[in-house]
Amino acid sequence: MAAVAVHQFAQCITCHAWSPDQSMVAFCPNNNEVHIYKLLEDKWEKVHVLQKHDQIVTGIDWSGRSNRIVTVSHDRNSYVWNQEGAEWVPTLVILRLNRAALCVQWSPRENKFAVGSGAKTVCICYYEQENNWWVSKLIRKKHDSSVTSVAWHPNNILLATTSTDGKCRVFSTFIKGVDTRESKTSSSSDSKFGEQIVQLDLSFSWAFGVKWSPSGNTLAYVGHNSMIYFVDDVGPSPLAQNVAFRNLPLRDVLFVSEKMVIGVGFDCNPMVFAADDSGIWSFIRFLGERKASSSSSKYGSQFSEAFGKLYGQSKHGLSNDTVEPSRAHGVVHENCINCIVPLRKEGPRTKRFSTSGLDGKVVIWDLENQEVVSDYL
Amino acid sequence: MANTLRLYLTCIRNTLEAAMCLQQNFPCQEVERHNKPEVELKTSPELLLNPVLICRNEAEKCLIETSINSLRISLKVKQADELENILTKKFLRFLSMRAEAFQVLRRKPVQGYDISFLITNYHCEEMQKQKLIDFIVQFMEDIDKEISELKMSVNTRGRLVATEFLKQFI
Repeated sequence: MAAVAVHQFAQCITCHAWSPDQSMVAFCPNNNEVHIYKLLEDKWEKVHVLQKHDQIVTGIDWSGRSNRIVTVSHDRNSYVWNQEGAEWVPTLVILRLNRAALCVQWSPRENKFAVGSGAKTVCICYYEQENNWWVSKLIRKKHDSSVTSVAWHPNNILLATTSTDGKCRVFSTFIKGVDTRESKTSSSSDSKFGEQIVQLDLSFSWAFGVKWSPSGNTLAYVGHNSMIYFVDDVGPSPLAQNVAFRNLPLRDVLFVSEKMVIGVGFDCNPMVFAADDSGIWSFIRFLGERKASSSSSKYGSQFSEAFGKLYGQSKHGLSNDTVEPSRAHGVVHENCINCIVPLRKEGPRTKRFSTSGLDGKVVIWDLENQEVVSDYL
Repeated sequence: MANTLRLYLTCIRNTLEAAMCLQQNFPCQEVERHNKPEVELKTSPELLLNPVLICRNEAEKCLIETSINSLRISLKVKQADELENILTKKFLRFLSMRAEAFQVLRRKPVQGYDISFLITNYHCEEMQKQKLIDFIVQFMEDIDKEISELKMSVNTRGRLVATEFLKQFI
């Protein structure tokens, strides 16, 4: 089993994030609070509750270097939390949104963050030193529906978004005074703030969960029609690959290396996708082992089988002629997984990651010593 | 159980399994701070999926409508004669009036159907998806049985009453 630890933190978790040293985890238990748990003497204990939002929190991101937490919520607000002593102090960010905020991510340099919203806009927020204030700049009138996910390119300028109109878009978020010209290396370096670099219209249904590969050369996102899309050479002439699979749709993806992607979603089991030497992506396998049946139902079936042998098959055989009983999952997550976060980065590869879902569990997975998978790492 | 019914129910089960992939907690795009089942309001066409209609025959069908945060299942139950018609109507009205007890039951059926279920993301958070599907399929199985049992008991009682009444003329 690739799952190394399972923590049942709540009834239902909308999103989670880890502290830079991974000793603390922040998550939203499907309400307006953010709970922070810390590992104290082999036990996870609740150390902080961040209460400021008044509707469900939909996005949390914990910055790696500056140790700041950003949260967004359906109440249209965002807070940046700074740790001062033992307390977390919130700073309100005026997003200038008139609909719910849906997702958030810090930029790689942690001087900006992006918020996707139900107002069909994306906010890019940055800190203004002279006013001691987080300022938000909006990318308006580019999306036709709610923005479900945002992802930063490693160069700190490009931002990829997915939206429920089924499209994936890439924008330039160059802000004068925040970004410097020499930090940009790609050919799209002279683009202004909010300029759309490319629009990918591959999915027939809603698009979710966009991510860049560690080098920023490949972009991956998922569609609700059980497809995953890989895009190389993002720019004027992108190269796209569509991979269809037979299972339920995915919700989020994560690049663990340049050649391997983990997808999580409604099948409650992480899926591994990998590219071969020629760069063709395909589905490899499920990460969690799928048992034939759970232990309790196994016991039941053995029991009735034994009875059947005792009393003759007719009496205790398949007496209930209902349509085939529900499929026993027998995997770690019992409900849809909607969040996947990398853990402990060593170089360009991610060996460990954590997932959380509607069943309220946070599961840590390890890719070490995994057959098939280790070839691609 | 008749073989065709099994196929019909398996088809519905598989369709529900694919359709019940609801985005958790999707806020309304049109009205600030609202959160409504999109399948009922139909404010944004891009948030709806194509509805699926599964028919066993003209009298028995099942309509599954999906949106980003909600799912609506409407059933038409077999009604061979007038007696079955009135029994179905009364029985399903009895159930619909007690919709709170069933949680996923809609108070009023969709036009052209006998009974409707509305499943939202909140139900998917609280309940297991498989159990929800099991409930719907079990309900469809039982409703036919229940109606034919009711019909039998009405007929038996009618015959008994008629026999007793006509005894006085012998």
